[in-house]
Amino acid sequence: MRSSLAVAVSILALATGVGQAQQATQAPPGQERLDVTEEWSTVTLPEASPHWIWVLDVAFDNLIASRINIFDGDSGKFLGVVHSGFVPNLLLSPDKREIYVDETYWSRGSQGDRVDVVSIYDARTLLRTGEVILPQGRALIVPKLPTAQLSPDGRFLLSFNMNPATSVSLVDIRERRYVGEIETPGCSFVYPTGPRSFSLLCPDGSFADVTYDDSGRAQIANNQPFFDAESDPVFEHAAIDVAGGRGYFLSYEGMFYEVAFENGRTRVTDRWSLTTAEEKEDGWRPGGWQLVSWHPGLRRAFVLMHRGPRWSHKQPGEEVWVVDPEANAIVDRFALEEPSISLLVTPDAEPLLATLTDTGVVGIYDPESGEHLRSIDGTGVTPFLLHAAGG
Amino acid sequence: MQRETVLDRWIERLSRRFAQRSSRRSLLARLGVALVGGALLPLLPVDRSGQFRRARAQAFFENAQAEDDTQCNYWRYCAMDGYLCTCCNGGVTACPPGAEPSPTSWVGSCVNPQDGNTYLIAYRDCCGKEVCGRCPCLSTEGEMPVYRPQLSNDIDWCFGARSMVYHCTGAGIVGRA
Repeated sequence: MRSSLAVAVSILALATGVGQAQQATQAPPGQERLDVTEEWSTVTLPEASPHWIWVLDVAFDNLIASRINIFDGDSGKFLGVVHSGFVPNLLLSPDKREIYVDETYWSRGSQGDRVDVVSIYDARTLLRTGEVILPQGRALIVPKLPTAQLSPDGRFLLSFNMNPATSVSLVDIRERRYVGEIETPGCSFVYPTGPRSFSLLCPDGSFADVTYDDSGRAQIANNQPFFDAESDPVFEHAAIDVAGGRGYFLSYEGMFYEVAFENGRTRVTDRWSLTTAEEKEDGWRPGGWQLVSWHPGLRRAFVLMHRGPRWSHKQPGEEVWVVDPEANAIVDRFALEEPSISLLVTPDAEPLLATLTDTGVVGIYDPESGEHLRSIDGTGVTPFLLHAAGG
Repeated sequence: MQRETVLDRWIERLSRRFAQRSSRRSLLARLGVALVGGALLPLLPVDRSGQFRRARAQAFFENAQAEDDTQCNYWRYCAMDGYLCTCCNGGVTACPPGAEPSPTSWVGSCVNPQDGNTYLIAYRDCCGKEVCGRCPCLSTEGEMPVYRPQLSNDIDWCFGARSMVYHCTGAGIVGRA
């Protein structure tokens, strides 16, 4: 308050000359502010609503300067922005207090020394409060959710690395410390499967299962292939329900793989096709970018589907299909206002379904009725990913 | 902790093309791609079936031409994935001013419609500058997830260059396939 007054007086002095400034300092407190200037402050966000949508914009026209835009899915209001570096990944702490951005910078824009870093922000002030350098780098790929993940308790951040040998960098968020590198020969991504375990996808169509401890000691177990990586690979984006001990993976041609997580190991428990023979004939396939989202309360997976030929796996979805993995059934499907590359169901008890087009339009739907509630324009130049707090 | 072995360094020099995306989000073409000598086999199993690659090269060849190297269907681009250096004041084998060729390249087998012969083409990225952004060549034909990196076009393959910021891609003839 006192410093605000001093600033106001200084500005007044500059504007009116020293003599008048001296006069102003003698004026009754507050009077000059009423007449000349208003107090400024900085907005602090409330705790994130589960209906806030965080849109990660990789900014293909200027890759070294991406951004994360935050919107209220209930009103469409823009809430704030976090600026980020080259092909970043975003993580929100389970307690909603912090934001982690896994990102890469060069000291002279696109040249100079490279630094890979986990940047830490306060989720309410959006101020940078810390960082952890990743000395072994990180995978520079177009942002995908499994490229970086948190342990379920939020203690550790696991950042996939590819140089092009593959590994996972372990960061102790609580201690603000890089712990070390977990070697994951030939296998990619991070799918959390338990408190201190995750799995990866390997080129032969199998999972590798990793358990680790707080000191970074890790063990890897291999498995038999569960899909044909040559002819019908599974998408990188999957529906992961760590608390429920389940994961759901989709293939280019619409196979749905159900996976149990048991003590850090994966076990494929079921596989079936999302499409009937007739739907296959019509070309229905899953596709897009972040093409599947899981709601733990509804116990449903929401999948972007389109009609297209083989190898159209990145084509935007024209419909959302609602999958009940217990019944091995599509229980609902509804058309989208605009074809969308990504989707997200918010994790709360009254969820919203958010979709993202390749022109940066976020659609908001009721995931249970399919009703289109609103659209939010201008969420980014080339956004790819949607996030929600607590999800 | 990760230690850099001789193999790792060698593999880093085996740079391949960067996967860049267009404003339309379709991913860029990676048709009929193989790594030089299959040298990444120990770490990154390579599809060496041949059948797969030939099938896609054939599909590309049906529309290929040999006159205009600023078009995506120029015959050497059968495994192209990225912004064409030829549209950025570079060339099929030249980086635009200020960009650095990635130390090595990866290859495709492309049919030259003028003589009907198949040539081994090395695709080389130009790195160290922001994206050129001109003439994106886009396809997801045969495109695979990142866990099969040799066929994924979402990866920045400027490995080994001074900066991993991607600018554009060219395509030079290595020999007869």
